[in-house]
Amino acid sequence: MDLDKVKQTFILEARELLAAMEEALLGIEEDLNPGESINAMFRAVHTIKGSAGLFGLDPIVRFSHTVESVMDRVRSKQISLDPTLVSLLLECHDHLASLITSTQEGVEETPESHEGSQRLLNQLIPYLEGNGVIESTPVRVAAQPSGASEGGWNECWHLSIRFGPDVLRNGMDPLSFVRYLGTLGKIVHLASVVEKLPRGEDYDPETCYLGIELDLDTDADRQTIEDVFEFVREDSEIRLLPPHSKVEEYIAFIRAMPEDERFLGEILVAGGCITTKDLEEALRTQKAETLEDGVIHGRLIGTILIEDQAVPPPVVAAALDKQKKFQDRQAQEMKVVKVQADKLDRLVDLVGELVIAGASANAMAVQVHEPRLLEATTIVNKLVEEIRDNALSLRMVQIGDTFNRFRRIVRDVSQEMGKSIELELHGGDTELDKTIVEKLSDPLMHIVRNAIDHGIESLEVRRARGKPDTGSLSLNAFHDSGSIVIEVADDGGGLNKAKILKKAVERGIIREGAELSDAEITSLIFEPGFSTAEAITKLSGRGVGMDVVRQNIDELRGSIELESYEEAGTTLRIRLPLTLAIIDGFRVGIGTASYVLPLDLVIECLDLGPFLESEENHLINLRGEVLPFLRLREIFRMPGEPPTRERVVVVQYGETRAGLVVDRLMGEFQTVIKPLGNLFKQVRGVGGSTILGSGEVALILDVPQLIQLASEPSSGLRRRPATHLPPTHS
Amino acid sequence: MADPKKNGTRHHRIAASAEPKQQYLAFGLGGESFAMEISYVKEVIHYGELTEVPLMPPFIRGVISLRGAMVPVIDLSVRFGRALTEIARRSCVVILEVPRGEGLVVVGVIVEKVSEVLELAASDIEPPPAFGGDLRSEFLNGVGKVGGGFVILLDVRHVLSMEEISALPGDRDAEAAPK
Repeated sequence: MDLDKVKQTFILEARELLAAMEEALLGIEEDLNPGESINAMFRAVHTIKGSAGLFGLDPIVRFSHTVESVMDRVRSKQISLDPTLVSLLLECHDHLASLITSTQEGVEETPESHEGSQRLLNQLIPYLEGNGVIESTPVRVAAQPSGASEGGWNECWHLSIRFGPDVLRNGMDPLSFVRYLGTLGKIVHLASVVEKLPRGEDYDPETCYLGIELDLDTDADRQTIEDVFEFVREDSEIRLLPPHSKVEEYIAFIRAMPEDERFLGEILVAGGCITTKDLEEALRTQKAETLEDGVIHGRLIGTILIEDQAVPPPVVAAALDKQKKFQDRQAQEMKVVKVQADKLDRLVDLVGELVIAGASANAMAVQVHEPRLLEATTIVNKLVEEIRDNALSLRMVQIGDTFNRFRRIVRDVSQEMGKSIELELHGGDTELDKTIVEKLSDPLMHIVRNAIDHGIESLEVRRARGKPDTGSLSLNAFHDSGSIVIEVADDGGGLNKAKILKKAVERGIIREGAELSDAEITSLIFEPGFSTAEAITKLSGRGVGMDVVRQNIDELRGSIELESYEEAGTTLRIRLPLTLAIIDGFRVGIGTASYVLPLDLVIECLDLGPFLESEENHLINLRGEVLPFLRLREIFRMPGEPPTRERVVVVQYGETRAGLVVDRLMGEFQTVIKPLGNLFKQVRGVGGSTILGSGEVALILDVPQLIQLASEPSSGLRRRPATHLPPTHS
Repeated sequence: MADPKKNGTRHHRIAASAEPKQQYLAFGLGGESFAMEISYVKEVIHYGELTEVPLMPPFIRGVISLRGAMVPVIDLSVRFGRALTEIARRSCVVILEVPRGEGLVVVGVIVEKVSEVLELAASDIEPPPAFGGDLRSEFLNGVGKVGGGFVILLDVRHVLSMEEISALPGDRDAEAAPK
């Protein structure tokens, strides 16, 4: 077994568990019925401890053990989960996460991490005081043949021995066992049980009637003690009751065991609470009872073990809990299969090739005019389309996980800023391509931090403006015509336009006295080198500003809109494509080259002639609506003359429409987006490439960028210079 | 291989000098003979359909699809400040893997024809001439003596990793992004 691989799995699992723990912790304060969250947290820490134990990661085990103990007290309602404890547990969560990270890096413990553990442990100790461990319920000592030695629940093992009648005949001396036990530890108490001793003539001197109850103070484990009776076990009854402290150890041990499929008895055996012999015996009893009754169900194995005093009830309870947990988890695993991301990527790549090959086969079938072939390829293409959709859906993940992380960030950041902020999350089940989600989390983080830092006002200002004390921040995700929209809205102060203008002039982004529309002003915050924070705070204003956010979103072929009302709040809208992999394309031709437009952005196609409104201003009149247009031939500086009959493709992105003038319309087809690479990053208006059925490469047009170009008064071809204004939405 | 005598001589030469030899791929461009270290060469394909990318400097002829991956194609002749390479029957695209940062960038270059694989020892290579010729000296590794003639040894790293094309595709980011 490759231990490293297993360790990776552990790390992965631990991360997931920690995420679950964090989520539970953050949800707990609002949770009306926090029981399940507390259980979830407990399970998370508990499982981490258990798995860490398997790898001998002692620092993690030590630390998580205490955390677990505290949580267990919370769980059993011995202490309440107040905000201070939540914060402390959050810190513990962070520390555990950092321990896991250093494990991944191959470092078990550094002086800093040790110090961190120690510091947190010290803070945890008060919560443990009094009774840091699980209380065990008083145990009913059932059906004991003799009244001797009831005080089994101390630090000693209690041994209850009933020698079989043939012990003496077999040449065994009962006393020798007692003497031998004396070598394992100290015999604290001993009582003989002689009830079986018959009277007078019934007495057989060769038969052993002796029973012994004794308390043994020893460090030896169950197996060692039981082995003492190796030779008499066959026909004697021997019961071992572990000392009190052992019970906890057993419970802890059972809880720490990895969750896999086991019978209750096996769990107990593995935990060292009973021996295999005990189990066999109990099973025999169970079987015998079943037979006697003639009914299928005898006593349950746990009951038998408890009643036969082999195991104290709390231990069985812990084992049962473990068993149930595995069953729960198994039920969950049936639903979710973990697959490595690169395998998935490979699959999507292959499906991409399949789509291309399918399109090419179809094109050929059309060419040869063979109806049966055409029918066959149509069926194949339909199936390929289904496979494509399925394969792509594999890559789709819900944005909820990303959203949930913001609970923590908002909590921490707002505390740091001394602001009270409530975070609302909507549309967490909206699905997005995994790659997009990953790349989205950084810019989103920045936006949220900005909203808390600059957006939501301080308490005094809020009161003065007559707003509720608690600021509100909401994250919202939803589908909207072929794209996904993510909104970050706050009810803060909105953007201060005067301040933005002043800063923009200071930074040389615009000229003094420039006339700008509101939208143009708000868009200034996306310019490189712009930061609205008057004082550089710890949270934002680190020089990475909204321009980086915009750049990140651009890379995802997305766009940002900003809506801001002074003193009322700001809403930032990120619009993203559904997927980055495969699109339905619409092919257009210019000269000899052909280009592809994403079909879901195409509204309609028309002839330029009848709709031309103004050649000079590049405007068309679409049934009363005046739209800007641009000629791709001009944009791309293509040589040659345009045909007499030019076509317009009307495209829409977000709220904006524009016309793209091309030479030919070539119809729709399915296409796989291939990255064009950094070399071609500078080319405005081209977003990617695709492979046509013929194997030829076609470029995919970047519609949002083209719309932007069309909307600008002077369509510059260079990348946006610093003084250049962002688009106005017409 | 066809000529056992020649083959024999070569072996003899290696044994005699015991000098390590490097392999070079020789190709023709604008009537001249060039060669580059074979370790950079991934494969040679026939010139096929190439898609031009608008607004790019002329030495970037466009992109081709190499089994589904996009590969930019560079016209070496234009890169050297000469005329556009004419596409003819024997035109080929040499696919190269050029180290960049920690990874490799796949790039194609158009050549008129691919001639042979040369084995050159260090003693067969002269330093690049300080003057003469229109090629920038940093593009050259030296001049190899082959039989009676010369072949210009290109410094692939320099030819293909100048500032203008420093942003060649191939960063992890760029490749991972739009999938």
